[in-house]
Amino acid sequence: MRVPRILEVWKMGVVNYSQALKLQEKLTSDRKLHKITDTLLSLQHPPTYTLGKRQTDHNILVSESELKAMGAELHYTQRGGDVTFHGPHQAILYPIISLRDIGIGARKYVEKLELTMIELASLYGLKACAGQKGETGVWVGRRKIGAIGVRISSGITSHGLAFNVDPDLNYFKHIVPCGIADKEVTSLQKEVQQILLPPEEVIVEQLISCYVRTFDYTDVVSKDISSISLDN
Amino acid sequence: MALRMWASSTANALKLSTSASRSALASPAFSLARSFSTGIFAVLEGFKYASSHEWVKHDGPDHLGEVVFVELPEEGKSVSQGNSFGAVESVKATSDINSPISGEVVEVNTKLSESPGLINSSPYEDGWMIKVKPSNPSELESLMGAKEYTKFCEEEDASH
Repeated sequence: MRVPRILEVWKMGVVNYSQALKLQEKLTSDRKLHKITDTLLSLQHPPTYTLGKRQTDHNILVSESELKAMGAELHYTQRGGDVTFHGPHQAILYPIISLRDIGIGARKYVEKLELTMIELASLYGLKACAGQKGETGVWVGRRKIGAIGVRISSGITSHGLAFNVDPDLNYFKHIVPCGIADKEVTSLQKEVQQILLPPEEVIVEQLISCYVRTFDYTDVVSKDISSISLDN
Repeated sequence: MALRMWASSTANALKLSTSASRSALASPAFSLARSFSTGIFAVLEGFKYASSHEWVKHDGPDHLGEVVFVELPEEGKSVSQGNSFGAVESVKATSDINSPISGEVVEVNTKLSESPGLINSSPYEDGWMIKVKPSNPSELESLMGAKEYTKFCEEEDASH
């Protein structure tokens, strides 16, 4: 009989980056202490640029004040990966899970996050694939549709993946996305072109399902958090 | 003198050496020698280490992918058992590295900032990360001996 593996999904709507970070820190700590089960945050951010632990800010092509003038925030984080942009209509998943419980390492974990997005893309007839060496993420041809940046602390993950459903791709012009200069960024909407996509909530649900399947959970509990204050 | 033999099997084990004879340690088995005058210098490699309280069987160099960045503490900084002393990044994942013992960092492998890939290519030799002078030698008693370690690995592997 299979060992039950329970995932708790928090559906959160648009969440400010700092708030999401604080929440992930709390959940990571709780998960480490076995107070909670594997938890998946499903959310979006207002326009936000983020840098990883290597602080590769040479890949930001405008000044911070210009970013602010555009209505975007800039955050330095502890995740892996280079610079990226998050914004409305980009579906984000932050899994706070124990890698030791499933016996995988960082590489396998990142591969599974890639697979999650590849599977979602295939639901729309897109042949997406993982990147070449050094170009982690999910690509349709030479165009990047999904990005990954994670942090692992005592075997507990935080940060995660970002899948471009239909964000404003102009925001990516102000950075060298993920430090890769000669490739484009794309979105699901851009790739399917004239085809009408279902409502975003449906696509996000599909992304969550792809995650659940890829990571082989037996039970899923969903919580709608969008209307609850995060300040507790 | 208390000696413990470590099995290397799937993991980079905690490698301990006296200040005098680092060359006495040869893979795959590593020996821990307690020297009464100089204390024990621990050379930590990779990210797998053994501790009876917090067993981390996680990323070895092959499990991590190519390491692109290593963050290490400064000399003189103290580390404590079970807490993070640095991080490595590969495949867009930064992993905190936890210290199996408490003590003071006496040397940091500066080669790693230019060549983080040494952790992959030479985990038992050039890919060492920090040398720690233990502040609490009794912590070493709690680290697993080889027999327990091998059995532990077998049990872990069997459960997946």
